[in-house]
Parts: sequence; C-alpha cells; structure tokens
Amino acid sequence: MSQSMQHAREAVQAAESAGADYADARFVELELEELRLHNGALEGARAQAERGLGLRVLVDGAWGFASAAGDEPGAPAELARRAVGSARALAAARTGPIELSPDDLQSGEYRTPVVEDPFALSYADKVDLMVEADKGMQGREEIVSRNVDLGLRRERQWFFATGEVEQFQELVRSGGGIAATAAIGGVVERRSYPAAFGGDSSAAGFEFVRSLDLAQHGTRVRDEAIELCKAPVCEAGERDLLLMGNQLMLQIHESVGHPNELDRVFGHEVDLAGASFATTEKLGEFRYGSDIVNLVADSTAEGGLDTRGWDDDGVASGRWHVVKDGIFQGYHTSREWSHRIGESQSRATNRAEGWYNPPIIRITNLSLMPGTWTLDDMIADTEDGVLCDTVKMWSIDQRRLNFQFTTELGWEIKNGKKHRMVRKPTYQGNTPDFWRSCDAICDEHHWRLWGLSNCGKGNPMQVAEMSHGCSPARFRKQTFVV
Amino acid sequence: MAIQAASGLGSEALQESAEAIVERALEQGVVAEVEASVGLTVNSFARFADSGPTQSAERARLDVSLLVRVERDGRLHQAGASGQSLEVDDVDALMQRAISIAEVSPPLEAPVTLGGPVELGGITIAKHRGAVDPDTISHDPAAKAEAIARAVAACADAGVAPAGLFDTTGKARALANSSGRSVRSESSRASFALTATELHPLGLGGAGWAECIRARVGDLDVDGVIARAIQKSAPGVERGKVEPGEYTVVLEPAAVSAMLLFAAYYGFGAKEVEEQSSFLCGRIGEQLFPKELGIRDRWNHPMYPTAGFDGEGTPKKPVPLLQNGALVGPVTDRRYAQRLTGSADASTGHGFAQPTSTGPGTTCLSVDAGDQTMEQLVGGVERGLLVTQFHYTNVIDPREMLLTGMTRNGLFLIEDGQVVRPLKNLRFTESLLKALGNVRAIGSELEISGALFDGEVIAPPLAIDNFRFTSATDF
Repeated sequence: MSQSMQHAREAVQAAESAGADYADARFVELELEELRLHNGALEGARAQAERGLGLRVLVDGAWGFASAAGDEPGAPAELARRAVGSARALAAARTGPIELSPDDLQSGEYRTPVVEDPFALSYADKVDLMVEADKGMQGREEIVSRNVDLGLRRERQWFFATGEVEQFQELVRSGGGIAATAAIGGVVERRSYPAAFGGDSSAAGFEFVRSLDLAQHGTRVRDEAIELCKAPVCEAGERDLLLMGNQLMLQIHESVGHPNELDRVFGHEVDLAGASFATTEKLGEFRYGSDIVNLVADSTAEGGLDTRGWDDDGVASGRWHVVKDGIFQGYHTSREWSHRIGESQSRATNRAEGWYNPPIIRITNLSLMPGTWTLDDMIADTEDGVLCDTVKMWSIDQRRLNFQFTTELGWEIKNGKKHRMVRKPTYQGNTPDFWRSCDAICDEHHWRLWGLSNCGKGNPMQVAEMSHGCSPARFRKQTFVV
Repeated sequence: MAIQAASGLGSEALQESAEAIVERALEQGVVAEVEASVGLTVNSFARFADSGPTQSAERARLDVSLLVRVERDGRLHQAGASGQSLEVDDVDALMQRAISIAEVSPPLEAPVTLGGPVELGGITIAKHRGAVDPDTISHDPAAKAEAIARAVAACADAGVAPAGLFDTTGKARALANSSGRSVRSESSRASFALTATELHPLGLGGAGWAECIRARVGDLDVDGVIARAIQKSAPGVERGKVEPGEYTVVLEPAAVSAMLLFAAYYGFGAKEVEEQSSFLCGRIGEQLFPKELGIRDRWNHPMYPTAGFDGEGTPKKPVPLLQNGALVGPVTDRRYAQRLTGSADASTGHGFAQPTSTGPGTTCLSVDAGDQTMEQLVGGVERGLLVTQFHYTNVIDPREMLLTGMTRNGLFLIEDGQVVRPLKNLRFTESLLKALGNVRAIGSELEISGALFDGEVIAPPLAIDNFRFTSATDF
C-alpha cells in the first residue's frame, strides 16, 4: 500500500474507531500548469501543486467532513476527530438519517490514457507552441488583445472507504485555445478558437493540444474579430436557430445537465445554484425534446473531462440515457440520492473539487447523440435563420427554464445560404420548447466532445469539469432579442 | 526543516515565512527578484435543507505563491508558481518550477519594479488589518446546528421548505519581496443565509431569501434572516403575473450587488480601459448620473473591513468610482500605474497576485447610503416592482454594461406606494449605466450582499425608473 493510500486508510480507521458508521478519505495530489500569452508576453505563467486529505464520515445519520493540506503524520487522527465531532453536533438538528444506496464498491486503479505526457514536455516547447499560435493574430492595429492559453492538469487520488475499498485514479487533462479582441469606433468584439474562455480541453495528454493546431487558426480568428466589429447587430425576431457545437455544448450543460442533478430536484441546492423544473413525476413520461433528441450521460466516454474509474462515492462509472427519443429517462445521482427515486444503485456522479471540498452531485459527460444531416444540407434547408457560433454569454433561471444566450458570431441564413455576418446574436427561450423544436442534428462526422472546465455548483461554490458531445443542430422558430 | 509551520491565524508567522522564502530564493543566486505570498484560510460551514444539516466542512488551507524574475542577457523574465506547503523541499520545488518557466518565457518588455517598503507618514508599517474575530474562527458545528434547528423549525411552522448556509471564515495573508516590502493582514467573515420555498407538488411555489454577512459572527442577525426569508416567500399567496416591459423598480441591496459586481469584473480597471472594452471609455467625467449617487472602492468600510493591501502588497486606497454625477478614472496596479502615470508607486492598490493577465480591479465596492427608508422608496412608486435578488446575471456587452438575469426569491408588485402582491419571475435585459442614470432615490440602510459569482458589494436599496424586463416565467 502506498504512503498516500495509507494516509487515507488511517483517517478512515480513526473515524471508524471514533464511531463513524461509514467513512471515506481521499488523498489528492494536483499539478496544474496554466499559461497565458497575452499580447506576446507570458503574463499568466503559473504552475500549481497541492496535496491534501479530505475525510467524510457518516455518524448518527449526518455527514461530517474535514480536510487539511499536506500529509503530516498526525493529520488523519485530527481530521477524524473534527469530522466525527462535526457530524455528531449536526445530527442533533436532522429530522431523519441520511442513508446510502447499497452499491458494491470495488478496489482498483484507473489512469487516463495519455500518449504524450504534458508534464514531461519542456516548458520551452510549450512556450514555443504558444508563440507560434500568437503569430497569426498579429499585424492588425484593430486588435487590442491577443490571448493564447494552455491548461494542463494531473490529479492523483487515493480513495479509501469503509469495507477496505482502495481505489487509485490518475486523471490527466490537457487543453488550449486562442482569442483575439478587436476594437473599432467603440465596438469591441472577440473571436475565439476552438471555444471561448481558454479554448477546449480533453482527458488526454499533450497530443490533444497539438491536434487543435492553434497556429493555423490565428489569422482567421483575428480577421473575424475585426469583421465582427463592422457587422450589424443581429436583429430581434423569430427565426430558425442553428447552433455550432461550441455553443450547443453549453446549451446541453445548462438546460439538460443542471436540471438533471437529483439534489437540485429535491431543493438541496436552492440556496445558491437553484432548483429544477425536471421534477420526479416527469421521469419516464415527460417530453423533453423532439423524437430525434437523445442525450446520453457517460462517465466512461473516451476523452471526457469527467471520464474516470469511480466517482467520489467510490461507485464505478457508467452510461445511461437522460433523454431517449425525446422522453426524459434518468437523473444524475449519488449513493445518498439514488434511493429517493427508487433506484438501488447510484449513477456515480458524486464529485468534489480536490481534497478541500466534500462531494456533491455533478454533471458528468453528457452528450447529444448525432443525427443524419450534414451542415451544408442543414444550411441549405433553412429559409430564414441565424447560425450561432461560440459561447459569449449565458444566463438561465433558477429552475432551468428561461434562458438567454449570446454567441460571439452569427451568420444570417437566407434562402439556404449564408447571407451576412452579424454580431451579438442573442436568443431567448424556454428549455422544453427549445428541445422540442429541434428538427435537424448533424451526423457523426460533425460530432465531437467539447470540454467544459468552469462548472460552478454548491455553496460554498466548487468548480468541476465535464465534457459535452454534439454536432451542429437546428431549432425551429426561436426568439432573438436585442 | 520547516521554514515556518503556521499555527492558528497568526499573520506574524505567515509574514516570517514569506520573508524566509524570499531570503532563501535570493541565497540560491539564480533569482534576480522574488515576491512571496503566504495565506491561511480556516473555514467552517454547514448547509441545511428540509431534513436539517445536509453537508458540512471543517477545513484549513495554506496557499503559498511565488513570483520569480530571472535575468538573461540583461533582460528580465518572470513566472509564478503556487503550492500549499512551507516545507523546505516543497518550497524549493515550487521555486524551481517558477524558475524553469521564467527561463523560457519571453523577456518582459517594460518590467515594473516590485513594490518597496510600505510607509505611512514616514513610518514603515507591516500590518494592515486588525486581528480576526476569535469567536468567528472558533465558531463550531454545534453552534451552527442550533441556528439551523431554529430555521428548520420556523420554516416547518410556516409551511415552507428551508435551504441555507451558515459559514464562518478566517483569513490571514502575508507578502514579502526582494525590494523590502513585507506586509500582513487578517480578517474574518461570517454569514447566515436562508431560502424559504413554498411547498408545491410541481415545485412552482414562491420563494423568499435573506442573508446576513458580517465581519464578526456575533453581529449576525440569524433570527432576522429567518423571519425575512419566510415573509418574502409569502406562503399561501397566489402569485400574479405582469408582462415584460419597463417598470420603476426598487432593487434591494442583493439585486444592486448582482449588477454592480459586473462593473467590478469588467470595467473599473485600467486594463479594460486600455483595451477599450470598459464602460469607462468615453464616459469619464460625463454628467450621466444623479449627483446623489456615490460608488467607491473602500476596503476599510466600517461595516465590513477587509484586507488592506492588494495582490502586490500595495495598500489599497479608498477610491471614488462614481461621484458628483460622473464616472471617475480606473483603478490601477503597479503595471498600469506605471503606464498611466509613469510611476508604479502611484498604484491605487487594486492589483492581483502577479504574474497574471488579469488587470487591476475593484474588490470592495460600496454604494453610499441615501436618506430614504424602504417604506419611503416603495411609497414613492405609483406602479412598479420590488426586486429581492437577481439570479445568474451575466454581461452581454461590457462596453455598454448590458446585463441580463432573472428575478429570484421575491418579486412583488407595487401599486400606489404599497407592496400589493408577489409575482412570478421576470428576466431583465438592461444596461447598468442606464439604470444608474435613472436612479430616482437611494435607501438609507446598507447591506452586504454577494451574487452567484465571486464578490460582495455594500449597497443600499435603489429606486430606478424605466428598468427593462424582456421575458417572463411561469413560477
């Protein structure tokens, strides 16, 4: 047994000795490199390393959790004392005990498949790649900001739980992107590649960053930002909406993923993140989308940012339909929540941010399955629409119904052809109406996973990562606003 | 050998650690300049819902960060690294990581010197904030459980479902660098929040919310929060519906905070002005707002003092941001002070830990109190809306400060100066600048509020004319 696993084991055993009915401990080591080249200077150049232990206990039907950085020898016993003491104190105020589903936890190891270890690559090679990616965005005075981002992450977790369960996971994530912002006459617009807010990332090694071929897209991104500043604002009105994958992935996240978290459904996230319209009586009956809408959750998907062996309950990853042929079919659950809907096994979506936080239900990799169209055919089949590309702004209500999104760029579609570029395309809608209006989804050749690295939930808030796969799709008669 | 094992919240120990790291870095002879920051956070929280406490944590984290500069061919190159240990081996590894990146980074085109000793009236000072409140950092789960039990029982009596958070946090931080700067601070924060949701089989019931945030746990008004949240949820009262459109609104402090935080994120800083994305561009000095409206960044607000220096160790200057009806110039860090004034020492103290591509920004926004009670604010509205809180506010256009978001946890119709009934929620799409220009009255009671994303604002309620709502919900 490794020293880190031994550390976790000591914490669990100390908690059990102190009266815990169940305990699990996660010793987590995190390495992170976040590099940003801004206007040619390496302004964001930060390497982070941390390690610590988080212990969760169930005592008298209440959770307790305590965490501390480092691996000092006395830490497990001290954490056990604090976590058990906390649970006991809080149990007095509970109206009933917390119960866990009887999942069969198995020991094992899981590692993200990696071709090129991002942490073995020299910093010089990484900086060279970023400098090359920046070159294409240079040369125009209208550009006021150029960013090249690189984000690399390796998380090792030693999980030990009551019942002598030992799980080791090494999760590696790599990503990057470029963005150029132009300013002309008081109009400021940004274009990004391959996605906004730092680009795209994947559970993979540096080969994923290389596959993005950032340097090949700099000039296009620069010129589109300039062109956008001169483009008219997208007009208000009712038109067909065509979404590219780097926008549709966030639509999936906000209007399918979050309302599907079972703790939200039962009101336990109302204090900050919100609740859900997708209440339990709708399960198996509610028409969430049109017949062609199939949404699959999959924590085993190759390249998914939430692809892993087990969640932080220790339950093995899995795959299931959240929406099948348009009908609402399943929730994201944990051992604490699955039995509330009569399921004996958790969907394994309980996750914590690092060692510092207790786990909560998080969206896993959630994807819209491909359809049968090509993008060219979908455009040719559209009389009056707007093709929206790349996330710019998102907002959705506390029950995940009323949403409003703005993308970086829009293309007006008139009589089956791209007509002109428009800026600030903003559409507003209602979740079930939106998904029910979906009448065309592009095929598997257009489909890919998109990484989302900044999902906030919980109170105090935690950040989690997951991926959403999709291909471009069309939604009939949506409302554009100004 | 441990450089320094921090215990409790003693910022002195953290300061010694930061100075020791700087000394060790310079001893190695590779680093030309170095800045070290050491922070300790001690946090205890308990969340709760209808079943009582649902989640809790007792936790502590140490954060160590370094900025190093190395010289190559007469030019400086810099990078940073951060970790969570003060053990010598770990600090050395941290330093080596930062040096390795710095050695391959492009040279700094216009390096700005690290800040020197901090002086006030000719005296070098180190500490920028009094000690944390001991009751806050020792506040235990049993005390939290007691407050939670009161909230759960009161909600059960009222027929509403509770959800909330009781959080107590202590923070200490120290910074030292090779130019002789060495500062430290301590602060504490306590909050109690309750959302009360009307029980409804389809989840369509109304909701109410209240929160109290203070520097000392003993100053929290827990029972006041419980009463206000339940009252806001208006159990048993049917919610009306109004059409989207322009209304006179009374925004309570949390709604004001949700909007103003976007000005903090996107526009009060000099970088956004330089890159032309700030709403300050072309508007500084223009008479666009009521003269009574004052907004400032004020770390030492008597209601909620926070750390007194920024990420570069520069003392924060309380700065006016909107006064006498006009926006004032942007806040700076050392880099942007150098660019704008020729002197990095002219920084207003709004920088973040370097190196970062994030420009300077405001973190302690406050709106000056006016002279109107809530009754007077509402009483002055013939037909309008009272807004408790906004949810998921976000920015569509930072240059125009065009924002959108949903009302949440208490939207009420005002008629003839009276709150007449709760309403189903609305989405707003409105420019913060237009809204501030249309402020008709300012409340006298200040409150500390956050929103979905980071940050808190001290603000009074504001009455605003012609506030635009663009769509509606069925709940």
